[in-house]
Amino acid sequence: MELSDANLQTLTEYLKKTLDPDPAIRRPAEKFLESVEGSQNYPLLLLTLLEKSQENVIKVCASVTFKNYIKRNWRIVGILVEDEPNKICESDRVAIKANIVPLMLSSPEQIQKQLSDAISIIGREDFPQKWPDLLTEMVNRFRSGDFHVINGVLRTAHSLFKRYRHEFKSNELWSEIKLVLDAFALPLTNLFKATIELCSTHANDASALKVLFSSLILIAKLFYSLNFQDLPEFFEDNMETWMTNFHSLLTLDNKLLQTDDEEEAGLLELLKSQICDNAALYAQKYDEEFQPYLPRFVTAIWNLLVTTGQEVKYDLLVSNAIQFLASVCERPHYKHLFEDQNTLTSICEKVIVPNMEFRAADEEAFEDNSEEYIRRDLEGSDIDTRRRAACDLVRGLCKFFEGPVTGIFSGYVNSMLQEYAKNPSVNWKHKDAAIYLVTSLASKAQTQKHGITQANELVNLTEFFVNHIQPDLKSASVNEFPVLKADGIKYIMIFRNQVPKEQLLVSIPLLINHLQAESIVVHTYAAHALERLFTMKGTNNTTLITAAEIAPFVEVLLTNLFKALTLPGSSENEYIMKAIMRSFSLLQESIIPYIPSVITQLTQKLLAVSKNPSKPHFNHYMFESICLSIRITCKANPDAVGSFEEALFMVFTEILQNDVQEFIPYVFQVMSLLLEMHKNEIPSSYMALFPHLLQPVLWERTGNIPPLVRLLQAYLERGANTIASAAADKIPGLLGVFQKLIASKANDHQGFYLLNSIIEHMPPGSVDQYRKQIFILLFQRLQNSKTTKFIKSFLVFINLYCIKYGALALQEIFDSIQPKMFGMVLEKIIIPEIQKVSGQVEKKICAVGITKILTECPPMMDTEYTKLWTPLLQALIGLFELPEDDTIPDEEHFIDIEDTPGYQTAFSQLAFAGKKEHDPVGQMVNNPRIHLAQSLHKLSTACPGRVPSMLSTSLNAEALQYLQGYLQAASVTLL
Amino acid sequence: MKKFKNKGKDSTARRRQRVEVSMELRKAKKDEQILKRRSISFSLVDESLSPEDKKEIIQLSLEEIVEAVNGSDRELQLQAVQDIRRMLSKQNDPPINQVIELGIIPRLVEFLGHDDDPFLQFEAAWALTNIASGTSDHTRAVVEAGAIPPFISLLSSPHMHISEQSVWALGNIAGDGPTYRDALINCSVIPPLLALVSPVTPVNNLLCLNSSSSLGVGFLRNITWTISNLCRNKNPYPPLDAVKKMLPVLLYLLENDDKDIISDSCWAFSYLTDSTNDRIQIVVDTGILPRLVELMGSPEMMIMTPALRAVGNIVTGTDEQTQAAIDAGVLAALPRLLRHPKQAIQKEAAWTLSNIAAGPSQQIQQLITCGLLPPLVELLDKGDFKAQKEAVWVVANLTTGGTVEQVVELVQSGVLKPLLNLLLVKDSKTLLIILDTITNLFKAAKKLGVTDRLCLLVEELGGLEKMEALLTHENNIVYEAALIIMEKYFCFE
Repeated sequence: MELSDANLQTLTEYLKKTLDPDPAIRRPAEKFLESVEGSQNYPLLLLTLLEKSQENVIKVCASVTFKNYIKRNWRIVGILVEDEPNKICESDRVAIKANIVPLMLSSPEQIQKQLSDAISIIGREDFPQKWPDLLTEMVNRFRSGDFHVINGVLRTAHSLFKRYRHEFKSNELWSEIKLVLDAFALPLTNLFKATIELCSTHANDASALKVLFSSLILIAKLFYSLNFQDLPEFFEDNMETWMTNFHSLLTLDNKLLQTDDEEEAGLLELLKSQICDNAALYAQKYDEEFQPYLPRFVTAIWNLLVTTGQEVKYDLLVSNAIQFLASVCERPHYKHLFEDQNTLTSICEKVIVPNMEFRAADEEAFEDNSEEYIRRDLEGSDIDTRRRAACDLVRGLCKFFEGPVTGIFSGYVNSMLQEYAKNPSVNWKHKDAAIYLVTSLASKAQTQKHGITQANELVNLTEFFVNHIQPDLKSASVNEFPVLKADGIKYIMIFRNQVPKEQLLVSIPLLINHLQAESIVVHTYAAHALERLFTMKGTNNTTLITAAEIAPFVEVLLTNLFKALTLPGSSENEYIMKAIMRSFSLLQESIIPYIPSVITQLTQKLLAVSKNPSKPHFNHYMFESICLSIRITCKANPDAVGSFEEALFMVFTEILQNDVQEFIPYVFQVMSLLLEMHKNEIPSSYMALFPHLLQPVLWERTGNIPPLVRLLQAYLERGANTIASAAADKIPGLLGVFQKLIASKANDHQGFYLLNSIIEHMPPGSVDQYRKQIFILLFQRLQNSKTTKFIKSFLVFINLYCIKYGALALQEIFDSIQPKMFGMVLEKIIIPEIQKVSGQVEKKICAVGITKILTECPPMMDTEYTKLWTPLLQALIGLFELPEDDTIPDEEHFIDIEDTPGYQTAFSQLAFAGKKEHDPVGQMVNNPRIHLAQSLHKLSTACPGRVPSMLSTSLNAEALQYLQGYLQAASVTLL
Repeated sequence: MKKFKNKGKDSTARRRQRVEVSMELRKAKKDEQILKRRSISFSLVDESLSPEDKKEIIQLSLEEIVEAVNGSDRELQLQAVQDIRRMLSKQNDPPINQVIELGIIPRLVEFLGHDDDPFLQFEAAWALTNIASGTSDHTRAVVEAGAIPPFISLLSSPHMHISEQSVWALGNIAGDGPTYRDALINCSVIPPLLALVSPVTPVNNLLCLNSSSSLGVGFLRNITWTISNLCRNKNPYPPLDAVKKMLPVLLYLLENDDKDIISDSCWAFSYLTDSTNDRIQIVVDTGILPRLVELMGSPEMMIMTPALRAVGNIVTGTDEQTQAAIDAGVLAALPRLLRHPKQAIQKEAAWTLSNIAAGPSQQIQQLITCGLLPPLVELLDKGDFKAQKEAVWVVANLTTGGTVEQVVELVQSGVLKPLLNLLLVKDSKTLLIILDTITNLFKAAKKLGVTDRLCLLVEELGGLEKMEALLTHENNIVYEAALIIMEKYFCFE
């Protein structure tokens, strides 16, 4: 493409089309642009347009297109990737780098941001080696005095340098930082000083101040990036300049910079917030050097907190500032800064209490945005909130001053409760704050699962519960003072381990009652609290609260839970669904009378949400509840499985037909569960589905693989004979699935699960013709990419094969692929790697298999394989006695992230659809050590003298000792 | 039978050498030994041996100096060189560059050869010493003027003060870096230098040669310092045969009771051990470890610091070398240093401990038995950031190489709380190591069947919420490590 007006015109038209809402126009234009991306001059045409186009919209569009083009193409992927050629030719690269900085600086802000992003993408690849001028070019602009230009430079520098905040220390990184420091640190410092001076000369010029403060924010951010990895010599030498100015900026206020906006943080807040971060960085990492400045910052930040208002726009600043104090106050050598009783009282009164108050914004969220409110309040995703920061400060102070702090707050709590008592309907917020204070003060350790696990002994939690929490929950109206109701329910939830059980039992009907509350927060909390209480552990691994204790409430509980799902805003409430699941699990057979109604409601729900699944947790618990219904009912009455199939298959068919991706893995799991419930041969309804399960498209989605493998295993377990007789033509398809899975490093263990089921259950005749091919496939994979996970699965498989078909068959099939192959497998794989096998069942399979090779395989006794006999025995004894070898070669470190899979399909996403561990050698061999001894005894009877002589010649003494132990235990001797 | 004690990497791979990144952003360390020194005081030597100085000092102008130095009048030469030396001995901002620009250095070097005029020799040596004490450029000016051979000859000067001045000058040259250090060694500096202090010549004999005993100590200090500079620097390390020659003398010097001499000898050992395992072995073979460990307990910072460094370097070596340090009692010396008020010492001690923790489980057991866990936990909880970082390494290594029982003991000693608190640190590498450590802890918990209890503990101590926060960390590897732990142990009850 030439740099011609005609081309500029064409490009303009296409860019315009990419903005068209009609996809029929937009898509072809996007396609066209993509097709010319590789042409020379294309990026330069875009740059020309974004600079010179007459239409602003084209300028912006060109800049965005340019940025995305750079993002996609600038990076030259390794030479090895042939299908991703370098789309940007060298001359274009040079031209872009030569022009982009001045262009960015002269562009209006909207375009400047795009170009600045592009520069940082280019910089990430080319800076500093391939773009040596960039720094000087940027630094020179500092002298321009034009703060529009300067801010452009600072913004670009920030996007180039911010990666220093998270990258690992390395020589490369540090030499880049050093280079940047050498060129940048001094000019930045001078700019910092100059900007601050300009701020005072322009103290009355609002628009100038805004620009200058934007610069200061960027400068403070750059300071953070440049100081992150280590304290640079330059900044240590210039700490006085930086810290003195940062300190005075913290205390600065200027009416002109105050904003009317209550939500959005203004420049002043953003700057102070960044300075808090900078001070926190120095306090954490460079304590020794920063010590002289720290007390000043503590005072300044504390004053800042005392004078900052309640508006939302200050939230980030306030929580950053409190977090700074929290991190400093728990360091032993700064203890003295807080020790004084007046200081403590003042922090508690002026910093902590005000920031714990329930604000108008919280009230709004409670009513109108309850989901967000719950998420913040319940799940601890409140990291940046004021309340959370205040709580952290309380905990920090308690490290050294628990007694005094508790004392100060106890007084506060009492006075707030008194205020409330005077006029509840007006002063209910005081009680909210009191409860929050007690909660944060008392909780020393907390978990989602168990609530508070360690409480501050200075607070009497049960007393508070009985006197101040229960009365609220007992009140006649479930809809009065919803915030206090939510507080009360939350109190039960988090202090459930501290409050005595009889109090919890008293609370249960109250909680069930609150499931009817109109407020989403209140009925959600009630459901959640019930769910948590039902999960509590008592003695002997039983639940604390028994089914018998809930018996009187079963009906009302189930009714209210399902009714709560019909309340506005809660139709897919995951907390309620989870409470349903947990109630089923606790109540077990006492729910059976209600199952017909329950399963109808659940299938209706399932049908409704399958139209548009949007709440993953809700859906998950719904399927868990379905599984529980099936299990509980069929345990009492196995024949009921038919009625579940009747109720569910219609919805399942619809889900499968409409390809509801989110639900398909669940459907397979429920089907597995149902199929496994059958005691007899597989029903024909399942067999009709069998061919569909082998469709390649289903196996494309990784989420389907584990449940599908599980389902096929269930088919093989229940219907191997039916498959062999009625669907033998599907066996190649089944093996095709195996072949696909085995080729993938991520899924090979799933392939082995399938293969093992085939070997274990299929009648031998039906798979005879495929056996050799299976082994060849496995060898190919071994040769191409051998991983520890693959080897482990491979070992289990060949030993299972040996158990099923006999050791001789195993030897023969190996040697039929290639002569002496069996010996190689023994020597190179089994003997050296067997120690890596993990899992009880897996180890047992290997032990029995190897025992067979040792004792039931004539070639091991009288061919060249004989020399491997003793090493194999030693390896087996090692498997019995040595710790598992869980080393992983370095290069595999990142492949093997999914841990060692069990012999069973480890995928149990639906906990209540899981099946019992299956031990294919269970009946045959009970104790594999004894089995070895007995088998050796049998072998030695058949050829007297041979075994002892092989043992005495080369078995390691320690191993021999173990072996003698086995023989003794089995009461046999070797002849 | 094969054992699988050291899972994953073996201990050599887990031990961390002193320098991981040769690039430094920080100011040069303040606790390092001085590389070059200038002689600024008018010492006793000067006063007693240059009575002329006591006369009224007539200051020559720079032109006069150049003229005098280049002239042939011995009197004027001496006066000029003295003037230069005085200028260079000024307390602040000695005009080294100006003197170099005068172009008189070759002449000063020439004067070193005037055996017939010890006064001139001495003054020239002193002036050159101070020039060589400056920057690398300054030192180069002296070396390139050919000063090395005459200085080495002067080591054997019959005049003790000239010999001493030469030792000093050579120390400055050696301190410049490996190139000049090896240039000196190649010019055979070692035999005459060591001859000055050979153990067969007891210190007393040396002292007898001089009128003042303080001179003797000062001289020996200078010699020790110069030897230490000859042992210093890497890339390349000093030649092996030179090291072997110096070792016996250093052993001997380490028994001296002057703290400067002990300090500089310790520094020399710290340099020799900051090296490869075979070089560490040479040092260990001398049997010096017990003495070094003893000196780690010295109340003198100047002795304890380099002794700790040397021992710290030794335990970066093989398991056997580390065992030798353990046998010498290093574990008993460390608790005090881990609690030392100086943060740099805490950090160094923790680094040392981390390398012992990288050893096989028997060594880890000794570490536990010697009561190192409580000070470790304290440091992790309350130490300064650099020391905390090292303490994290200790814990990481303990969980990698320790037995399940040892890991249990570690957890019981209260390590979890401070460790999890550190998930807030602003350092990606440390975060990753903590996450690896947590993974190791979970592996051990799995073996004991107490995964649930560990999950609970981690959550109680605020670890879960901190790991959740790491799911938004910008560093992808940190994010993934946190994600794996979350998914594996905290996803579903």
